[in-house]
Amino acid sequence: MTVLNVNNISKSYGKFIAVDKVSFTVDGGCIYGILGPNGAGKTTTIRMIMNILLPDTGSITLFDQAMSDKLKSRIGYLPEERGLYAKMKVLDMLVFLGELHGMNAGKAKGAALKWMSELEIADWAEKKIEDLSKGMQQKIQFIGTVMHDPDLLILDEPFSGLDPINTQLLKDIMVRQRSEGKSIMFSTHMMEAAEKLCDEILLINKGQKVLDGKMVDIKNRYSTNAIQIEFDGDGQFIKDLPQVAGFDNYSNYVDIRLKDGIAPNDFLKLIVGRVNIRRFQATESSLNDIFIEIVGGEKNA
Amino acid sequence: MRNIWTIIKREYKDSVFKKSFIIGTIIGPVIMLSFIFVPALLIEMEVEKPYHISVIDFSGIMFDRLQERLNEKLPDGRQKFNFVKIETSQDGLQAVKTDLKKDIISEKIDGFLIIPAAIKNAENVEYYAKNVANLDLNRQLRSELNDIIINMRIEESGLDADLVNSITKRVGFKTIKIKKGEEESERGFGEEYLGTFAFVFILYLTILLYGAAVMRSVLEEKTSRVIEVLLSSANSFQLMAGKILGVGSVGLTQYLIWSLFGMGLVFYGSSMVNVESSWFSFSPMIFLYFVIFFILGYFLFATLYAAIGAMSNSDTEAQQLSMPVVFLLIIPILIMSMMVKNPDGTLATVLSIVPFFSPILMFSRINLTTPSLIEVWGSIALLLLTIVGAIWVVARIYRIGILMHGKRPTLPEILRWIKAK
Repeated sequence: MTVLNVNNISKSYGKFIAVDKVSFTVDGGCIYGILGPNGAGKTTTIRMIMNILLPDTGSITLFDQAMSDKLKSRIGYLPEERGLYAKMKVLDMLVFLGELHGMNAGKAKGAALKWMSELEIADWAEKKIEDLSKGMQQKIQFIGTVMHDPDLLILDEPFSGLDPINTQLLKDIMVRQRSEGKSIMFSTHMMEAAEKLCDEILLINKGQKVLDGKMVDIKNRYSTNAIQIEFDGDGQFIKDLPQVAGFDNYSNYVDIRLKDGIAPNDFLKLIVGRVNIRRFQATESSLNDIFIEIVGGEKNA
Repeated sequence: MRNIWTIIKREYKDSVFKKSFIIGTIIGPVIMLSFIFVPALLIEMEVEKPYHISVIDFSGIMFDRLQERLNEKLPDGRQKFNFVKIETSQDGLQAVKTDLKKDIISEKIDGFLIIPAAIKNAENVEYYAKNVANLDLNRQLRSELNDIIINMRIEESGLDADLVNSITKRVGFKTIKIKKGEEESERGFGEEYLGTFAFVFILYLTILLYGAAVMRSVLEEKTSRVIEVLLSSANSFQLMAGKILGVGSVGLTQYLIWSLFGMGLVFYGSSMVNVESSWFSFSPMIFLYFVIFFILGYFLFATLYAAIGAMSNSDTEAQQLSMPVVFLLIIPILIMSMMVKNPDGTLATVLSIVPFFSPILMFSRINLTTPSLIEVWGSIALLLLTIVGAIWVVARIYRIGILMHGKRPTLPEILRWIKAK
């Protein structure tokens, strides 16, 4: 089931093209990541999906309807630039956000209290937001995003500025939403986080789609012949072996990329005896490597 | 619509229960009333005291005449001027002066006069006192001393004193104002215009204060980054409309409190406080126009202020950008004080229909004269059209401005925002 369909959208600011003919679809029950470096056009894309900015061209369909403000109550949106009214009481703030999402005051209050006790901040309901710690304010922000039980979560750089505890909390919320059949779309420039969470990804750079598809497929397609070894002894000779395409020496281990057609097993035979191997692992390329390979490759072309 | 209502509610609760609103609501009328009552009360309350003045009269001719002429009595029957003659020679003068100065410091006497022997040859009379700025006393002393000397000179010259006085008698000048279509007005300038000025001042101040409140509130949402969280469920137009209507209804609440307070004052207060209540005796029509022009003026200026809030990134920037808007409010105030002379002149009539000026100028003219209904409702219609136009333009600036952080937009950028899809 397709939840969101983005069809060929573009947006320019004056001469600057922020988003250039981007298309993708997000299915139900899936975590979808929009990845790219800062300034790639992630936020502009998300703002167009949220109907905050209008695309210059292209169309957006949500739940099989053309995107409009009416559909916003079915989305839980956490913008990159987020904040709360400092002088408001926590519960009043959440009830206000719930009402904006189309809940009545009573229902909003119930949902807010339920979430607050779940995140262990129920004692703060009558406190002013400015009296809360930053971590607690972030929790309030999450509650404001999910309290109206949206079918689709759209999170723009959700992990930026979060402490490890809240990062884990948010990941748990995302995974739980997916298990309930909801969809989650989020943007990030942190590839590691995306790699662990996403079912599908879209890579964009300079406003253009670079790559999209299922995480598993992409990994398979771009998996390179890479191994990681830890050893004692002088390993400098490895760099010069004809079978080796790439060599990165880190303090505790080395990353090695083998030339096509060279099996890790054969390579291992070459070095056994010359160094004392403590660990040997054949690795997949990280999303980071894939991104750098594709974007860097384009640059060279 | 629902979203606008939710935002209005939040905005209203946020402002009305704030300390600043409660204090402003109480202090506002207190200040207005003190402007009106305090000077009157001060004059009423000032108790006239008798003056004790010592006189050193070297001429030997002035003392008796002075005492004879300044023979007024205070309301409580005491003598207003109490002169004491001090006899001394020129040689003893310094010692006497020192003593008298001590008496002034210890407040035994209010002052002392030294009348030179050659007073008739226009030598100066000296008056020593702690308070030499008592205009009333100075004027009386000087004019009486003058009259005494002049009369003596006339007598010596052999002319008839009465004749000279009657020839040189000054012409009296009395002002009576004629008002169009009304009986002779007995009210003076103050009573005539103070009410109008007070109303216009409240109008100006509330439009300015509540307009700026909208600006600050928009800016606060921008700097606290709450704005995009709100955009997750409402659109920018709903946010702007909710904000303007919310702050506006706070303003109307304040008006309501003030007018209830004012009515209470007219009904009960005027009987207790013995002050002319003519300043309060405005017709209900005037009050109706007052509310209409407040609402319309507020909408126009709050819309402009909303745009400024959306364009700025800091209070300082907002202050700078709001200067032109403040000018749009000050200009009619300046025009108004000139218009008082001729409220039905062509210039005054035309300016009072110009949309940005009409809330203040047309309202002033309604107070000062009787503009035709076509003029009044024409200006209101024009104002409404301008508000619709302003909302259309500002909504477009607002939509993009609230998402922009960092540097202040340039004019071409703003024009591009307005044109953007």
